Amino acid sequence: MLAVAADLIREATKRKWFLGLAIAITAVLVTLSLSLRMEVVDGALAATRLFGKLAKNPIQSVDVALRPVFFAVAAVTFYGGSVFGIVACADFAPTLLSPGRIEHLLALPVRRWQLLAGTFLGVLALSLAAALYGSGGLAVLLGVKTGLWNWRLLVAGLLSTVSFAAVYAAMLTAALYARSASVSAAVGFGVFISGIVAGFRHDLIPMFEAGFGRTLFTGYTLIFPRISALAGAAMDIAGNQPLQVRSLWSLLAGVLVFGGGVLTLGIWRFEQKDF
Amino acid sequence: MGAPLAIEAQGLHKTYGGLFGPRQRALAGLDLAVARGEAFGLIGPNGAGKTTFIKILLGIARPTSGEVKLLGGDPEAVEVRRRVGYLPERLHLPQAWTPPAFLASVARLKGAAHSPRSLLDLLARVGLADDAQRKIGGFSKGMRQRLGLAAALIGSPDLLVLDEPTDGIDPLGRMEVRKLLMDELSRGATLFLNSHLLAETERVCGRVGILSHGRVLREGKLEDLCQSSSHYRVSFAPGCDAQALSAAGFASGPEGPAGAWRCQADTPEKLNEALDRARRSGALLVEVAREEKDLEEVLQEAVRGAAAAPPEVREEAA
Repeated sequence: MLAVAADLIREATKRKWFLGLAIAITAVLVTLSLSLRMEVVDGALAATRLFGKLAKNPIQSVDVALRPVFFAVAAVTFYGGSVFGIVACADFAPTLLSPGRIEHLLALPVRRWQLLAGTFLGVLALSLAAALYGSGGLAVLLGVKTGLWNWRLLVAGLLSTVSFAAVYAAMLTAALYARSASVSAAVGFGVFISGIVAGFRHDLIPMFEAGFGRTLFTGYTLIFPRISALAGAAMDIAGNQPLQVRSLWSLLAGVLVFGGGVLTLGIWRFEQKDF
Repeated sequence: MGAPLAIEAQGLHKTYGGLFGPRQRALAGLDLAVARGEAFGLIGPNGAGKTTFIKILLGIARPTSGEVKLLGGDPEAVEVRRRVGYLPERLHLPQAWTPPAFLASVARLKGAAHSPRSLLDLLARVGLADDAQRKIGGFSKGMRQRLGLAAALIGSPDLLVLDEPTDGIDPLGRMEVRKLLMDELSRGATLFLNSHLLAETERVCGRVGILSHGRVLREGKLEDLCQSSSHYRVSFAPGCDAQALSAAGFASGPEGPAGAWRCQADTPEKLNEALDRARRSGALLVEVAREEKDLEEVLQEAVRGAAAAPPEVREEAA
């Protein structure tokens, strides 16, 4: 299983999407490190210069001043990372299942579920590496410039990977029914958007009149993990703010139940399928 | 008790489709046995079920009914598959990898011990030593096929299942591949070959099976299959009476009356009666041998014979 995951990662490093992502993250970090100047006096952010231009911000303590930055980084990592992941990872499963490749793999001494689980783990590893590289890089950058070391950004990156795991489980399972990167990506976006809506369920339900419509909407959103709520929790954690959600653990449990359930369906389908 | 067979299939049926689509029967009661250390060739027309059988053999597809054993065990058992090398008809290779990287990946998945040196030696065996540092994306079809063959050889498998192994390889390359396969046979491996190149099958395989419409029509040693059961090639000494020989039931061959003659006799008694008539005409018998056909003729005869069978026989067979 780990060999399958390692091969997927090796394959991904040759692909332009992931090379581009690595270069883009590195370019942003290098650019910021060279162009961003932050003057911290007695724990307060006195001045910020970007490309030599002075930013007109009130003098505040560093953690308060940087809070919007932490929120933004967590949001970009969460939402931007998921969208990128859906697009860039959509064809891993269809490629695994392609004629000539799947027969070769199934003839090897590897159990079927290990092939699928290895693919899943490989994609998760890529997602985690990208999230930690981006958020960790920024945490180091801001830590060096301001003296404020916010490792909570890494936690936000971790949560974004957990959320993407549920989305990718659905993408992987969809590919087993229709070997198509487009279908896989469409299902990914469907789950992602439904998950965002599910996170705002309590705010949206009152907009429906009591009756069948409200029941349908409630039932539909109960199925999906509350991705937007988890994103909000990631942003709160990154910004060292109290969590707005009642229970982070129940959010995570919901994501894991959804992802685990869908992945189990995928493994069952894979075990039954003739190639 | 003898060693278990390399391949054992009994009553294999495979039907695709069903619930919302048309049903298609790929295998209709296939029985086959391949002994260890044998080179067996499976031939048949397109759609006969050859690839379906290979997939069932390797656990890639499951039979609708029937039983199949691979090296005496379950095809889906990991320990059994560790001892099998497989080259699919259309192997999908990672474009951006080099051959050693691909072979190392296969070796890891097989749990086979390997080193950079051993992988380069394997590439040299298949004629790709000079291309070891090239990306697979730049390979020709024949080169990809050779690389696939190298992957199948990893771990010195006890059974090699090769689906069109020389497809796309030039004639000189095919000779190299044949030598490689013979070396594997000498090592004690069992070879199961599916190839449309009948000349290739004739050169490599000692036993052949003919598959059509999901059933084995004929199966046996190559020399037995290729020898006619009722046609004989007869040579007489020069000076024989051609008209008398024709009257005795002999037909002259392509070389004319001076060359070999052909005789059709369903039983040894009829053959000897014809020979007696020839000798009574003054002809001196020099040689009698069963006429040999090539595998193409054998295949044609077998498939035509199956198609010409009465409907009830065909239905019963199905």
